[in-house]
Amino acid sequence: MAATPVARRLPDVIAYFRTMAVFVAGWWALSRWTSNPALLPSPFAVVDAIVELVADGEIFMHAGISLGRMLISLGIAALLAIPLGLAMGLRRTLDDVVDPVVELLRPISGIAWIPLALFLFGIGNVLPVFIMTYAAFFPILLGTIAGVRSVDRRFIDVARTMGVARRTIVTRVVVPAALPALLVAVRLGVASSWTAVVAAELIGAPSGVGYAVEWYRELLMTPQVMAFIATIGVLGYLSDRVLRTLAQRFTPWATKLEGVR
Amino acid sequence: MRSVVLPLTLLVVWEAWGTASGNRRTPTPTRVIGAAIDLVMSGDMIEAIATSLARVFAGFAIAALIAIPLGLAMGAFRSIERNVDPLVESFRPIAAIAILPLAILWLGTGTPAAILIVAYAAFFPIVIHTIAGAKLVDPTLLRVAATMGLGRLNTVRTVIVPGALPSIGVGLRIGMGVAWTAIVAAELAVGAKAGGGGSGGIGQMMFVFYAYSIELNRIVACMIAVGLVALALDRALRAALRYAMPWNAQ
Repeated sequence: MAATPVARRLPDVIAYFRTMAVFVAGWWALSRWTSNPALLPSPFAVVDAIVELVADGEIFMHAGISLGRMLISLGIAALLAIPLGLAMGLRRTLDDVVDPVVELLRPISGIAWIPLALFLFGIGNVLPVFIMTYAAFFPILLGTIAGVRSVDRRFIDVARTMGVARRTIVTRVVVPAALPALLVAVRLGVASSWTAVVAAELIGAPSGVGYAVEWYRELLMTPQVMAFIATIGVLGYLSDRVLRTLAQRFTPWATKLEGVR
Repeated sequence: MRSVVLPLTLLVVWEAWGTASGNRRTPTPTRVIGAAIDLVMSGDMIEAIATSLARVFAGFAIAALIAIPLGLAMGAFRSIERNVDPLVESFRPIAAIAILPLAILWLGTGTPAAILIVAYAAFFPIVIHTIAGAKLVDPTLLRVAATMGLGRLNTVRTVIVPGALPSIGVGLRIGMGVAWTAIVAAELAVGAKAGGGGSGGIGQMMFVFYAYSIELNRIVACMIAVGLVALALDRALRAALRYAMPWNAQ
C-alpha cells in the first residue's frame, strides 16, 4: 500500500475528507436542530472537551491505565496460551485431553465472568486484568494451535531426518513457521480483550477509559463522554496498527499469507 | 474416552474443594445444577433468555438489513466504497459497549438501547465480510458478464450477490456471536448502572444475583446458560447457512 503512487491515492484522500466533512456538518446540523447539548452536543463542543482533557492530562491518565491493563493481560494470556498452544498443536494426546475443557469454556464470553469476578476480586485492577486475560486467551490459543498445524510437515520431516533434536525442531522449525499465524492470533486477542476492557471498566473499575465514559455520562457531560468514546476507538485502532507493523517487521514473508483482518 | 478425563477431573476437584471449604454458598457442580434447575423450573431463566434473545434477533436483523445491501454496494462500486469506507473504518474500532452510555442517554435503560448496542456490534462484521465477499467474486465471471453485455445492476444481482453469499454467511455467524456477547454486556452494564431498574435479560439477572443476594451458584448457572446459548446460536446459524447454501459445504 505504501508503494502506491500518491496520485492514485488522491481520489481516496479527497473522498475521505469530503465524507468526514459531510459527517461533521450533518452532526452539527442535527445538534443545532435538537438544541439539547446534554443529548447531542455539537462537534465543536466535543473538540473543546478533547482539548481540555488533553490539556489537563486526564485523557492520558485513563488511557495509560487502560493500556497498561491491556499489556499486562496480554502478557499473561500470551505466556499461558502460546506454550499451551504449541504443545497442543504438536501432541495429539494433549490436544485430546485439553481441548474439551477449552471448548466448554470458550463459549462463555469474558464479559459473562464479570459478576463472578466482581465477587471474587471486587472493584479494582484485578477484575479488568482477569477479564481481559480470559478474553485474549482463547483467540491466542486457537490461533497458535492452528498455526502449528499449518506448518508444512516436510519441514519437520526434513529436520527429523537430519537428526535434529525435538526441542530444536520446535524452536527452529515449528515456531518460525507458525509465527505469522501466531501474530495474527495475538492481534485477534488484543481486539477481543480491548472490547472486554471497556465492559469490565464500565462496571468494575475505579479508573480507565471505560470508567471515564460512564462517569461523565452520570454527570451528563456528554462532550466528555464522546471524547472518551473517541479515545477508545483511537486506542483500539492504534494498537491494531502497531501489531500489524510489528508483524510486518518480524515476519516480512507473511504479509501475503495473512487472511484474517 | 480421553476427551472426558480432564473435564471430569476438574469437576471432581471443584466439587471436593467446594465441599471442603465448608461455606454453603461456595459454588460446586452439584449446587450449580441445583440452582440451574430452580431457575429453569421457576421460569425465570427461560424468561430472561427469551428477553435477551428477542433483543439479539431484533438488533441482528436491523444490522443485517443495513449491512448486507451497504456491503454489496461498497464491494461492487468503487465510488460508493470510497465515500462510505471512511465512516465505517472510523467507527469500527469503537467497541459496542463503549457507546452504551450514549445509548442509555438517548434511549433510556430499556430494550431500545439494548437493540441499538446489538445492531451496532453486529453491523461491522457483517458489512466487512460482505464487502470482502463482493470483491472476491471470480474476475472471470465478471468479465463474462461484461462480455455478454450485462448491465452493472444485473451483474450485481446475478453474479456478485451469489458469489458473495458464502462470505456474507461467515459475516452473519461472526456478527451473531458478537451480538450475543454484546447483549450480555449491555444488560450487565444497564443492571449495574441503572440502579437495578428492571429491564430484564440474562445479563441483568446475573447482575442482580451479584448485587442483591450474592448467589454465586445462580451466577455460575447463568454463565453456563450464556455459553450454551452462544453455542446453540452458532450451531443453528451454521445449519441454516448450510441449508441455504448447500454448494458451500466445506
